[in-house]
Amino acid sequence: MSRLNSFRELEHLRERLRGQRQNITTTVMVCGGTGCKASRSQAVIDAVRDELSRQGLDTKVRLCVTGCHGFCEQGPVIIIEPGNIFYCHVSPEDAFEIVYQTVVKGEVIERLLYTDPVAGKTVRIMSEIPFYRAQDRQILSQNLNVDPCSIEDYIVAGGYSALTKVLRGMTPENVIKEIVSSGLRGRGGGGFPTGRKWSECREAPGDEKYVICNADEGDPGAYMDRCVLEGNPHLVLEGMMIGAWAIGARKGYIYVRNEYPLAVEHSRTVVEQARKLGLLGDNILGSSFSFDVDIARGGGAFVCGESTALMASVEGKVGEPWPKDIHTVVDGLYHKPTTLNNVETWANVPSIILNGSSWFASKGTRGSKGTKILALTGRIKNTGLVEVAMGTPIRTVVFDIGGGAVNGNRVKAVQTGGPSGGCLPMDKFDLPIDFDVLYEAGSMVGSGGMVVMDEETCMVDMAKYFLTFLQDESCGKCLPCRLGIDRMLETITDITEGRGKPEQLDLLEELADTVAQTALCGLGKTAPNPVLSTLRYFRPEYEAHINEKKCLAGVCKALITYSIDPDKCNGCGVCLRGCVYGAITGRKKQAHIIDAQLCQKCGICRSECKFDAIRVA
Amino acid sequence: MLKYVNVNIDGAIIHAIKGTSALDTAIEYGICIPHLCHVPYLSDIGACRLCIVEHVVNGRSNVTTSCTLNVEEGMVIMTNTDRIRRLRHNLAELLVAQAPNSRAIQDIALRCGVKEVRYPFRNEDCVLCGRCVRVCTEVWKARAIGFVGRGKDRHVDYPFGVRPEFCKQCGSCIQLCPMTITPCDGPMKPGEERLCGNCESQLIIADEMVGSCVWCKLGEGFACGRYV
Repeated sequence: MSRLNSFRELEHLRERLRGQRQNITTTVMVCGGTGCKASRSQAVIDAVRDELSRQGLDTKVRLCVTGCHGFCEQGPVIIIEPGNIFYCHVSPEDAFEIVYQTVVKGEVIERLLYTDPVAGKTVRIMSEIPFYRAQDRQILSQNLNVDPCSIEDYIVAGGYSALTKVLRGMTPENVIKEIVSSGLRGRGGGGFPTGRKWSECREAPGDEKYVICNADEGDPGAYMDRCVLEGNPHLVLEGMMIGAWAIGARKGYIYVRNEYPLAVEHSRTVVEQARKLGLLGDNILGSSFSFDVDIARGGGAFVCGESTALMASVEGKVGEPWPKDIHTVVDGLYHKPTTLNNVETWANVPSIILNGSSWFASKGTRGSKGTKILALTGRIKNTGLVEVAMGTPIRTVVFDIGGGAVNGNRVKAVQTGGPSGGCLPMDKFDLPIDFDVLYEAGSMVGSGGMVVMDEETCMVDMAKYFLTFLQDESCGKCLPCRLGIDRMLETITDITEGRGKPEQLDLLEELADTVAQTALCGLGKTAPNPVLSTLRYFRPEYEAHINEKKCLAGVCKALITYSIDPDKCNGCGVCLRGCVYGAITGRKKQAHIIDAQLCQKCGICRSECKFDAIRVA
Repeated sequence: MLKYVNVNIDGAIIHAIKGTSALDTAIEYGICIPHLCHVPYLSDIGACRLCIVEHVVNGRSNVTTSCTLNVEEGMVIMTNTDRIRRLRHNLAELLVAQAPNSRAIQDIALRCGVKEVRYPFRNEDCVLCGRCVRVCTEVWKARAIGFVGRGKDRHVDYPFGVRPEFCKQCGSCIQLCPMTITPCDGPMKPGEERLCGNCESQLIIADEMVGSCVWCKLGEGFACGRYV
C-alpha cells in the first residue's frame, strides 16, 4: 500500500479492502491475548491455520488472531461468525473438528460450548453467556473483529474515520467542546475531566506541546490497559491523533512497560504501519496536521505510572515524581505543555467523535459517563476483563458477571482501584461504580482493578500485602511515603504476628492520615488507602488480632494452630505421609494428632484431607 | 527589574519578589517555617515535607510544601494552623525515630512539639534529604554522588560504589549534611536512643511568638533561618 495523500484516498482504500473480503463467508476469531496465550492459544492458532489450508479453505475463511475477548478464565477461546458461536477451553486437537463440523457443515460441537454453572446447560451464542450478557462492551467488542497488527482490518472496521471527521470539518475548539460535553473522565485513576485537561493544555502558552499515552499499568491483578493496547492499538493511536490535533501537539509518546512485550511489539508495529500509510508524519491525509508518535519503554517501576515520574522517565531521567504545584498541562515533558491520558481514555475518544458526545453521555451516572473496563480477579469464579456502563452496582459485577466466590465460599469484600484503592465490604455492594461515590466510600474506581475476597482472606494480611508492594515500589524521595509506609508495615506486621497493642490502631490511623495529606505524589497520597479502608470497615478483625490474638480467616500464621478433629479423622494416614515436617503422628485407623511444636502451618495436610478433619483456629 | 506580588502569609500582607518560593519569602519576613532539605542556593525537591503549609485556593485549602510553591499575586498561605502543626509533628516524629543521632533532627523534633516517640527508634545515618547530592550536582557540577536504589533501598552513593576521580573531596557534602553534628550530650549508642530535649528552654520562646522567627537556638545544627 502506498502513502495516502487525501481523505478520498483513505475512503477508496477502505472500499477496495471491503470488496476484497466479499467472498469471505466465515470468520474464525481465535484469542491471541496474553491470557489465552498463557493457556497455549498459539498452538490452537497454528493448528486451525494448518487445518484450514489442508481443507483448502484459505480464501473463503478468514482466520483472525484477535486481542483479548475478556473471558480469560475459559481460554483459549474461539468465536465463529456467522452465528456468534463461542467455544472455550479449545485444544489444538480440536482444530480438525472445528473446521470440518462448524466451519464447513455449520454444525455446533456441543463438547466445546460453555456450560452455565447455574443453569447447568450449554450456551451456544457468545452474547447469551451470563458473563457477557450483563456487560456493555463498547471498547472491548472492537477487539473481536480486528487483528491488532493489521491496519487493513482496522480500516475495514471503520478505523480512522473519526480522524477524517475531525481533520475535515472540526476545529480544535469544537473537538474539545465535544469531549467536554461528553463528560469523559480520566480512566487511569484520578478521574480528572479529560476535556478540561485538553482545553487547559491548548490554552497553555508555547508552540511545542506533547501528548502521552500512559500504558504503565502496574497494579497487582489489573490488565485492562494491556489488553486494549495489545488488542486494538490502532484505536488508541487514533485517539491520540485526535487529542494531538485538539491541543496542537506535533509529537506523542506511548509509554508502555517493558514487561508487556506483546503491547510493546504491537504498538511499534502500528506506528510503523501508520507511518507507511501517511497517517503519521507531515501533512496527514493532505491536511495541515503533522504528528508523530514514539514508543518509550518503562523499566517496570510502579511509580512511573504517576504523570510527573513518567515524564521524567521519558526524558531519560530517574523515574521520580516532582512537585505538581504547576500542572503538567502547563509545565510537563521537557517543561512543555503536555497532555497525558490513560490507554482506555484515548480509546474512548474515536467513538465519542463518531457517535457524538450525547451518545457517550447517555451512558453512566451524573458525574461519571460512558463505560469502564474492570479487571475482575481474586477469589471469584469468572475472572476476566469486564466492561460495564458506569453506575452499574458492584453486586452486578461480582455476582451476575463474576458468578460469586470460588468453592461456594461467601464473598467478604472487594478491593477496587488497585493498591491505591480501598476495600469495600458486602453491605456496600449496592454502590454504583462511579468516581465520586466510590471515593466517598473510602475507595476509588482507579484504573479498574477489582480483586474479590472471600471469608478465607484476612483483611489485615491483605493490607500488609499491599503495604509490602507499595514499600517496594515507593521511589523513596519524600519522607512520609518512605518512612510512613515503612512504619505502617512495621505496625501491621506486629499485629499479624501477635505483638499488637490496642493503642497501635489509633497510631496507624493517624499515621495513614498524615501520609495521605503530606506525601509528594499520587502514589504516596493514596498509599494508606488499603489501611484506612480496612480500618474503617473491618476494624473488628484488627481488634481480634490484637485483643484475642486470633486470625478469623486462618491466614496469619503466628495466630493460628492446626489440629485434627478426632470425630472426623478416620486415620487414613494421607496427612501423615503428606506432612514434610513430620509433625503428624497416629496409628492406622485411629485419629491422628498434630504436634504444635513441629507444625510449620504450611496447610498441606488441610488440602490433602478428604474428610475435612483438619481444623484451623 | 524585579517584579513584586502581594501574598498573604498568616494574615500578613507581604510584598514578595515574584519567582521566589513561599518558604524563602516567609523566612525573609521573619516567619519561621521548619525545614530540613531546603538550602537557599540549591534547587528545592520537596523531600522532607517539613515546610508544609496550607495554601488556600478557591476556598479550599491544600497542604503543600512551601519550598516548591512559588509566590503569586493574591496567594493566601497559612503556616501555623492546627492541621499543619499536627501533620508536621507526625513527620518530625517519623524523622527523629529514624535518625535520633543528629542535633539538627533533635532540634526539629523539639520545635515541632514531639514530646514522645511512638515508634521503636532506629539509628540510621542518613535521612535522604539530598542536600549533599544537590550541592555536588548543582554547585560543583561534579555529580560525584547521587541517589541509588528505590524505596527502602534508596541511599546516597558514588557511581557504582567507587569514588570517582572527579570527586575532589571538597567536603561540601559533609558541610551541608544535617547528620554531622551530634546531639549536645554526644552520640547515642544503639539501644540508648532517646529524645534529647536539651533546648526546651528555647521552645518556650518559640511557642509564645507563634509564627514568627525568634532566632532561637533551635536549628543551629543546620543553620536554619540565619543564613544570609
